[in-house]
Amino acid sequence: MFDQLFIGGLATGCVYAVVGLGFTLVYRTLRMVNFAQGHVFMAGAFLGLVIAERVHLPALPLLFVVGAVAFALGMVLERLVFRRLYHNHEVFIVGSIGLGIVLMNGVRVFFPEPVPFPKVFGSEVVQIGAARFQEGYLWVVLSTLVLVVLLHAMFTYTRTGRALRAVAADAEIAATVGVDVKRAIALTFGLSFAVAAIAGVLIGPLYFVSFDMGDMVGLKAFSAAVFGGINSIPGTILGGLVIGVLENLAGGYISSAYKDLVAFVILLVMLIWRPTGLLGRETPVKV
Amino acid sequence: MAALHQRWWFWAATLAALLALPALAPQYVVHIANFILIYTLPVVGLGFLTGFTGRVSLAQGALFGVGAYTTALLTTKLGWAPVATLVPSVLMTIVLAVSLGGAAVRLAGLYFVMATIGIQQIVWLVLMNWIELTNGPQGVRSIPAVGLGEYSLETPQQFYFLALVAAGISYFLAKRVIGSRLGLFLRALSDDQLAASSVAVEVGRAKVTALALSAAWAGAGGFLYAHYVRFIHPDMFGLEPSVLFLVMSMFGGYRSIEGMIVATALLESATEYLRPFGEFRMIAYGMILLLGMMFFPMGILTLVRRRAGAPAAGKD
Amino acid sequence: MKMRKLIGAITVAGSVAMAVSAQAQDIKLGVVAGMSGPGTSYGIGIRQGAEMAVREINAAGGIKGRKISLVVVDDASNPAQSVTAMQRLVNDQVDLVVGGWGSSQVLANMEVAERAGLPYIVVGATNPKITTEKNKWTFRVIFTDSVQAEQIADAAVRRLGMKRIAVIHDANDYGVGNRDIFVASLKKIGLDPVAVVPYQSADKDFTAQLSRIREANPDGLAIFGTIPAAPAIMNQARDLGIKARFIGTGGLANENLMTLAPKASEGTVLTTYFHEDVDPQARAWADRYVKEFSGGSQPPRPVLAAWEYRAVKFIAVPCIESSGTDKEKLRQCIGRWKGTLFSVPGDAYFDKTGQLVQQSVLVEVGKGAFQAFKGK
Repeated sequence: MFDQLFIGGLATGCVYAVVGLGFTLVYRTLRMVNFAQGHVFMAGAFLGLVIAERVHLPALPLLFVVGAVAFALGMVLERLVFRRLYHNHEVFIVGSIGLGIVLMNGVRVFFPEPVPFPKVFGSEVVQIGAARFQEGYLWVVLSTLVLVVLLHAMFTYTRTGRALRAVAADAEIAATVGVDVKRAIALTFGLSFAVAAIAGVLIGPLYFVSFDMGDMVGLKAFSAAVFGGINSIPGTILGGLVIGVLENLAGGYISSAYKDLVAFVILLVMLIWRPTGLLGRETPVKV
Repeated sequence: MAALHQRWWFWAATLAALLALPALAPQYVVHIANFILIYTLPVVGLGFLTGFTGRVSLAQGALFGVGAYTTALLTTKLGWAPVATLVPSVLMTIVLAVSLGGAAVRLAGLYFVMATIGIQQIVWLVLMNWIELTNGPQGVRSIPAVGLGEYSLETPQQFYFLALVAAGISYFLAKRVIGSRLGLFLRALSDDQLAASSVAVEVGRAKVTALALSAAWAGAGGFLYAHYVRFIHPDMFGLEPSVLFLVMSMFGGYRSIEGMIVATALLESATEYLRPFGEFRMIAYGMILLLGMMFFPMGILTLVRRRAGAPAAGKD
Repeated sequence: MKMRKLIGAITVAGSVAMAVSAQAQDIKLGVVAGMSGPGTSYGIGIRQGAEMAVREINAAGGIKGRKISLVVVDDASNPAQSVTAMQRLVNDQVDLVVGGWGSSQVLANMEVAERAGLPYIVVGATNPKITTEKNKWTFRVIFTDSVQAEQIADAAVRRLGMKRIAVIHDANDYGVGNRDIFVASLKKIGLDPVAVVPYQSADKDFTAQLSRIREANPDGLAIFGTIPAAPAIMNQARDLGIKARFIGTGGLANENLMTLAPKASEGTVLTTYFHEDVDPQARAWADRYVKEFSGGSQPPRPVLAAWEYRAVKFIAVPCIESSGTDKEKLRQCIGRWKGTLFSVPGDAYFDKTGQLVQQSVLVEVGKGAFQAFKGK
């Protein structure tokens, strides 16, 4: 039973980690929390569904197309919406919650019922030890790995990536050395949308897609980000995996009624004990 | 030009209109008015935190629920008289808020918001799953109406006067708190962190006090809610009402209790005037939140105030 | 296109409101249900059932020359708003209410109807607590969880020969209510469930729960939940290698079960609220309903529409015809009602608690559709 719970938790944890990255990217740059993140994940899944139903794309190109569209959408929304919410973090929170409600209910108009997602990642059942699971789980884990490596490479080796990091570290200094801060912020939103949408497509074939699928995942991904360190990318990944595995183990061995509690208790305890999270660094927080 | 709310006739007219409402308006409108009056309590409570310490909470819906559940369980399971449960409800809410959030309220603003999301979810999950105590998803039914001697407040019209008195007391008490030494101290603290941090020990205690106050108001609101609706369910106290309360406290503009009350009225009745949107109602609601924050980050009432003239704006 | 729908929705809402105010001598029939929020598709089914019945009655000349006008109020599938919605119907002075979706909503809004003395026929909520000796004005036509859970427990042991039964249930009122009755009924027969595990309505991943169930090695798995969790559980259970046959109650009685779990749901045995193959009348009605309401924003939902339709046409209308709109007389008439309804085998009547007593329908999923159950 342990194998089953562990591997299942790992896959869910990867999803928390990738969606959580969206929180982290925006937080590092703006010290703001985008509560529409979970609903972007949901919208990404539906975007994947709409594309996959019309064009028969293999898995990898599908992920790429959805990521690209979501990236563009993130940049456009930054320009039209988010930019007007930088006033303070309360305004940003409520505004982004409003955006989330619009996204969720907008999708609901077109898809009032849960819909099965085409099995783009295959539907074979794989057996490892005593654990059995769909091929899709492997895709989730591997894609997360690849995504993290790509992000790391981008932040370390590309000019744009370094610019983003500079803005995240200190926007004012970055501006004085000639970084286009506005562009960097727009790119950040693009990236955060892209990763969340890709996570949506990864999870789609494993479960169904429904307009409310982003609610809980969003909150847990957020807990994962805070647990690992909301300004740290490796921290968020670690946080996602730990929460995914822990809650599955708790659900299997202790009580499935309180399975959901794990993430939020971890969130609360971590904030009080160490608000910067496991791997996060202390940053001056603008109050 | 003096602000509107400093004219005596404004107050007299408001009072007269409020007293006449149940006699003149249809029952359904009285019913909505009751919800508005009840909701002003948790919202004003939230105002203590938001306006006076710069902290925003997304757990007010859960605290509201703790108040409602305390009185509901005491009256239905132990047979207490409703009036006797007001104090326990308020105390229970304070104890829970301080024990779960007391450490977190000392954190920087954004970290506190994050913590309150955790608190909100934990409380909701416990209400849902601790079935032996809370009845879980079955909710608590047949909560008795508040009785005054032989007379019990059953209809919306009867309850209206209780709600009105409660909202009135909440309003004037809140005004007193703000004017008190503690209130002044909290305001100074949110205006100037640096100066306030030089009295660090007291700052922490003052913040916890603000949290306790906001919980007390939420608990009292929950008490009213339980005895008005007379059926409660964990879903009534999820993240959704927390967001609603936060928005109500922000839409009115920071630090203005009158603003919060007006915003509560506007937003609570929104579910009614958005009815024609049918299936699209929630989209419209989301747009109100989003556009409201985009274009009036200091609250929708800033629009009115700007018109009312500079002195009023300068006063706050 | 969606824009046109939006405008359509606004005009319909406006015209309903106007129709109500224009003709005061009309009989006013209130309908409350979730037409937004999680219950949207069920709520719209209820509204369609009412529209269909009212249109037919008005076309045939109304009740003694008086037309029926519908007052439809959305409760957003939310218990708190449901109270407001019922209050609004009381305020609009409707003569009776037929509707209600979701046990939490109905438990909340029936208190308003009881206090106002308004006859209320519930069609879409199954929690046993809705009909007790205490309610005077509330009736219910759909069978309760207890009837269904008892029947499926009996069928599982006596007709399907299950010996090791595991239970997975939603932690909401529907799931917990079913679990309690089901487990108690099994014990009466002399069987203990081998595992009982809850989940939350919004869960997507059930590996934790199903791993525990797999350890218990069941030959039957009772699922007390709704869409989309139930089909997800079926799919994931098969992936995990659980071979047990699935059984359940009305929560599974939704065509989406087969859409979402096409392979895994085969062979599932469940109780349902309505099945068109029970008698030719039911079939004729279902064909007419599906034809009329296909192509809207929601797929047609015959199960609850059928109850709403039958409650309006065969119970409410005859009572208004014989007793008029005096609320007390109307209430007594409904309480005394006895008769036949399509898709219900035999006679049906209300018991002392206001519950319609009737036989429920047992179906089996076969070839992607609900078939009348033909087991032993």
